[in-house]
Amino acid sequence: MEFWTSFAGQFVLRGFPGAVPQNYDTLVATAVEAERLGFDGVVASEHHFEYNRFLPFPLQALGAAAAATSKIRLITGAMLLPLYDPIRAAEAAATVDILSGGRVTLGLGMGYRPMEFDGIGTAKNTRGARLSEQMEIIRLATSQEHFSFQGKHYEYKDQQLSPTPLQRPIDMWFCGGTSRVGAQRAAAGGFDYWLANSDYDRTKEIVDIYLGLAREAGRPADKLRYALFRDVFVGDTLAEARDARDWFLEVYYNEHIRCYGYLMDDKGEPLFNPPFDHPAYVAFVNSLLCGTPDMVVTELKRFEQLGVHSITVPPVQLELFSKKVLPEFRK
Amino acid sequence: MKVGLSWDLGGDEPAATQWHRVIGEIERGDALGFDSAWVAEGKTGQAGCAQPAVFMTFAARRTKSIHCRALARSVAGEFPVRLAEEITLLDQFSHGRGGVAYAPASGQKIDPLMVHETIEFIRGAWATNEVRYRGKYVRFPTHTPDDAPAGLSYPAWTGEYLPQWEWGAARSTADFLALTPKPVSTHLPVYVAIDDDETLEWAARNGVSPYAGVNLTTAEAIERLARYRAIADSCGRHSYEVEAVLERNVAIDGASDAHTFGGSSHDITCAIRAAAAATRIGHFVWRYRDAAPNDLERFANEVQTRLQA
Repeated sequence: MEFWTSFAGQFVLRGFPGAVPQNYDTLVATAVEAERLGFDGVVASEHHFEYNRFLPFPLQALGAAAAATSKIRLITGAMLLPLYDPIRAAEAAATVDILSGGRVTLGLGMGYRPMEFDGIGTAKNTRGARLSEQMEIIRLATSQEHFSFQGKHYEYKDQQLSPTPLQRPIDMWFCGGTSRVGAQRAAAGGFDYWLANSDYDRTKEIVDIYLGLAREAGRPADKLRYALFRDVFVGDTLAEARDARDWFLEVYYNEHIRCYGYLMDDKGEPLFNPPFDHPAYVAFVNSLLCGTPDMVVTELKRFEQLGVHSITVPPVQLELFSKKVLPEFRK
Repeated sequence: MKVGLSWDLGGDEPAATQWHRVIGEIERGDALGFDSAWVAEGKTGQAGCAQPAVFMTFAARRTKSIHCRALARSVAGEFPVRLAEEITLLDQFSHGRGGVAYAPASGQKIDPLMVHETIEFIRGAWATNEVRYRGKYVRFPTHTPDDAPAGLSYPAWTGEYLPQWEWGAARSTADFLALTPKPVSTHLPVYVAIDDDETLEWAARNGVSPYAGVNLTTAEAIERLARYRAIADSCGRHSYEVEAVLERNVAIDGASDAHTFGGSSHDITCAIRAAAAATRIGHFVWRYRDAAPNDLERFANEVQTRLQA
């Protein structure tokens, strides 16, 4: 099982004001450090118009990271593809792929914040269907000399991508949360599926659905991969691990996850600024894995046995994680 | 006088080889004291550089001082917000060395007004906090009403303020939005190709720096740059508000032609000085191709030195 980490420095943490160039230096330094520590990939995310100056174009950040690293995979997760023209996105991915020697992986999500669609100028209500079409377009564009595509939202005839990436096709994942709908879309398109934070039982449930639906759709389920964002917090004691988690909640998740419509209620409607004791937020907090190194290794081994391809952890304890957890998966 | 280097990537050479060679040339240019490196957008062939801002972000992290600029950037088929963001990030990752020159409308087969609106929106969104924009081609945010003022407009202070994280479901977007992050540079360098008369006049009147590319003959480039200056002067705009750029081929010890300054380093220096005197250009860019191995060093030592002396 591979281990990926998110970038530090993609935004200004609440309570830790700093200059953006300094933050972006930190971002590049995260890639260098993660490579040194033995992580397999480093993951850049995307948001727009956010007061904390969130990174708006993850592939460009990966271009910067590519210049300072030589082997770590450079990953978007999630890049909000419905906020792009798919050919422009493929061009950017190919650009970084060439510059990095073929190290780009695309984790592609559909986005959820109304102001982002409103500001950039694409329709939010068609984002799910467009994401599926866009991913197919990128797959075709990066694998064929010339390609044609006829969909409901996009149409291309005898189109050629310039430049062409080193990877043919480019490595690509569908970031669809941990939901039946996400699993359905990923399976229908035959896309590898990258799940959001969730515990083992929920992950297994959705993976089973995903693989079952893929078989029904005639996709080669045995070749499909699934990955997981899994925020892990390690401490010498469980209390220390929870302290690390609580710090991250305070400086980031309490607002980022809770306030902008990421969480859903039980009817599937987005939640904006729900109370801290709302079941959806409590479930999210409980999905974050806290423990001593032994506890964390034991839990993550279950995911490994489930066949999970990679786990993405936050960038807050890289050194500790690399010393206490990673070696158990490298034996 | 600043001097720079530009590249138009493409052709038959594989991208992996060609691009890294160009990155190496940019690094050499940085070490030799060239002021700027420009890579042009191109969308043909396997090595065309369709995303020059992304390419230059990589180059920026391999260099220390040289300015890293996206050249001939199209606006057709692009989201204006994304065009603003990519140059912002280039400026951020390069610690204030970013910049962009937009392609002429005629080359994109679009109305020049689309180029003008895009540049106006981008500069306005960089310079202020929340904005909106209503144009024929650019509308930001998309729900900006038809009766909003034309161009950029700004919110009035109503005595109320609600931070984003408290907007809630009822107000999940806003009539005015702020681009974040902002560039490092207060006035990030924005140029536009002046191949089209409408754009030449608009740029001169609005303080947008002109870029006379190597596609124009030297005579055309000088005429257009001089006309730009005359219009700007007539509007009361000072030459220090902008930076006029002339791009030429250079052939050290080679022949001059309609697009090339050739001859000895003295001849090339004189040609650049003559063009500067006629147009008030502040930046000369060498379209770098087919150069001898030590030409970069010779230009830095012989031409650049004479331009300053």
